[in-house]
Amino acid sequence: MVDQIPALLVLAPLFGALLVALIGHRDHRVCFPIALASLSVTLIGAIAAAQHVFTNGPMDYFVGGWEKPLGIGIHLRIDALNALLLIAIATVAVLVSFFSIRRIGEKNAEKTHYFYILFLLLCLGLFGITIAGDAFNLFVLVEVSSLTSYGLIAMGSSRRGTYAAFNYLLMGTVGASFYLLGVGYLYLTTGSLNMQEIHAILGTNPEIAESKAVTIAFIFILVGIWIKMAFFPLYGWLPNAYSYCPSSTACFLAPLMTKVSVYVMIRVMISVFGLEWVFVSLGWSNLIVVLAVIAILAGSVLALAQREIKKMLCYLIVAEVGYMVGGAWLADEELWGLTGSLYHILADAAMTLCLFLAAGIFVKSFGARDINDLDGMFKKAPWVMAAFAIGALSMIGVPPTCGFFSKFYLIRGGIDAGHWEFVAALLISSLVNAVLFFRIFEIAFFGNKPAEGHDHGHDDHEAEEITIVRNEAPPAWSGLFPLLTSAVIIVLIGIFNGPIVALIRTFFEELPTVTLLHSTLTLLP
Amino acid sequence: MLSKVFATIAVAITGSILLYGVSDFPAFGDPHSPANAGVPGSESVSLYFIEESYKDTKVPNLVTSVLADYRGYDTMFETVVIFAAGMAIFAILRVVGNKEEEVSREPVENSFTNGDHSRIIVGTTVRIVVPVIQLFALYVVAHGHHSPGGGFQGGVILGASFIIIALAENLNAALRRLSEQNYVRLAVVGIFIYALFGVMAQVLGRNFLDYGVLAPLLFTDGPEMARSHSMLGVEVGVAFTVTAIMFAIYANLSSRGQLEKGL
Repeated sequence: MVDQIPALLVLAPLFGALLVALIGHRDHRVCFPIALASLSVTLIGAIAAAQHVFTNGPMDYFVGGWEKPLGIGIHLRIDALNALLLIAIATVAVLVSFFSIRRIGEKNAEKTHYFYILFLLLCLGLFGITIAGDAFNLFVLVEVSSLTSYGLIAMGSSRRGTYAAFNYLLMGTVGASFYLLGVGYLYLTTGSLNMQEIHAILGTNPEIAESKAVTIAFIFILVGIWIKMAFFPLYGWLPNAYSYCPSSTACFLAPLMTKVSVYVMIRVMISVFGLEWVFVSLGWSNLIVVLAVIAILAGSVLALAQREIKKMLCYLIVAEVGYMVGGAWLADEELWGLTGSLYHILADAAMTLCLFLAAGIFVKSFGARDINDLDGMFKKAPWVMAAFAIGALSMIGVPPTCGFFSKFYLIRGGIDAGHWEFVAALLISSLVNAVLFFRIFEIAFFGNKPAEGHDHGHDDHEAEEITIVRNEAPPAWSGLFPLLTSAVIIVLIGIFNGPIVALIRTFFEELPTVTLLHSTLTLLP
Repeated sequence: MLSKVFATIAVAITGSILLYGVSDFPAFGDPHSPANAGVPGSESVSLYFIEESYKDTKVPNLVTSVLADYRGYDTMFETVVIFAAGMAIFAILRVVGNKEEEVSREPVENSFTNGDHSRIIVGTTVRIVVPVIQLFALYVVAHGHHSPGGGFQGGVILGASFIIIALAENLNAALRRLSEQNYVRLAVVGIFIYALFGVMAQVLGRNFLDYGVLAPLLFTDGPEMARSHSMLGVEVGVAFTVTAIMFAIYANLSSRGQLEKGL
């Protein structure tokens, strides 16, 4: 039974979505239970898979039973690299499905079932991307997740959301095409689409591994994924898409889409090309770490310039993507940078979830879009604000929240690799986050100063966007429950950082290339 | 203007990087290129398909056996992509509720041949052509094993036959034949059929989409014929979904989500 889990992870949301499509339009109240049931199945499945992986080693699943020769069928794989991410995706999905109960029901109620169909298909896409062991299959599931996220972003009643979704569609299509072009070049030179097989071919045939076509394949795959994850110069689609879409959509996309893309980058680096090829043969890690430093600084500065809460959080995501890309490319001998990146994928998913849920509740219950609208929020909604504070402290990097530990591992990697500019960028980013969030705390705790107070208005919002109810209703349990859970998760990931990192690092022990990498790196001056 | 300059530069850089790698490509039509004959030291996937796929599946069309069996998981999610596209378009465009009045789907008169003369010509042509198109579509779906074709192509042709009706008469005429409720059902049933073939294999104790084990259910005397029949089954599923979504996308786009009048 356990060996069928990889198929189960994509089938449960698929059948959920089909069921909602079939009967959801009659009575919208059935949508949520169906979604929750199918997502709970995936959560249980993900936990069982992780338990299996960490006790018995990686799970390989060959769809259709086509195992030999490797690459004729589709290969799904759960190992130490993605087992924890699967749990994270399932957890976020379950929590956001609670958050979506009332949010969607209130406005555009007649479209509730479309939301749940797209939401479940998006979960399916993310699970599929995560377990894919085949480069082309990964592309197919990227398409599923992209199309559904365009739909989800455009669903809101705001016209800006539709425009942002169109912008995202263009950028996302370019990103996906780049990825596909890269995979095409790889297939042309290696004759296989299976990740393990490509890795083996590149390892045993140096003349192929050193060919220009493989390097170009890597560049296109990398740039394609960078567009999808909004790495700094390619981030243009993200802030509008995530801040003008419905809250429940933002709460799901913001924690997961960029993080899953970072995972794909790391997966491609390790399992397709191999760390030795990426770090030693290509030798671009210094350049990319500098790009990451620019991303971190630019994201932080742009976040500082925002007055809208969600926009600010979006630019923080751009900075966080810089953390993860930089960490993955640090190429330090002990791979602490890569460890930090993988840990930060989980940590950032929890932090972003918490902050976006809080921002969603601020908009929904109090009509607070701008930072200045948070006036006296500690009194009005102490629980929401407390959870928001935990998320914020984690973003700043205060122990025992997970944000502190991910920075700790990233900085350790940065010092080991001698990339002091990366270490400095992380510290500056922490400082900027501190300024940002303490400004919010000040307003929320002590209230606005009358001088800078209510003159900002909402002129920059189009009239149709102000659809929010101004009757400051107390936040519903369906919003509070996922928010507080996510705040607890932030602290738990932080406290149990040791075991989590140990689990992540079991993956590196299986890597034959790491020892190679060490020997080659020490030869370098 | 400036953005066009930037775009040109970006396209030029991308194109030149792509061209730069071309010099490493195997020669055009080279039978020993990695994609055709594999790389020394690892078993070639292409040669396996060419040599073994008929033995494995008894399907003469190699493309179909790769698409619907070896890589059937991809094809299932390609179908899901189409389904998701349809659902995203409904979610954005479809105007539900607050409709002024319920549109009657009753035929007003025989509007195919009434009215001006150009409509008579178009209407009569469509009446004659549509059954032929639909028959051909079914042939394309069913004959995907032996000749080029299959669920996607057949589904598109079948969907086009409904679109032609909508273009020649009006959208209601087409919706009378395939209503909104029915096209959503058809799309769902299509993917359900596909997934069912996979799940049945799981129920019988094998991996997802392992058609060979379905032999007793399909009354065939061996896993090969079971794979062949299952491929026909999943192609039918794909055709259902593609037909429904093709027409649904047209109906929603042409009427701005109102599902009335249309173009």
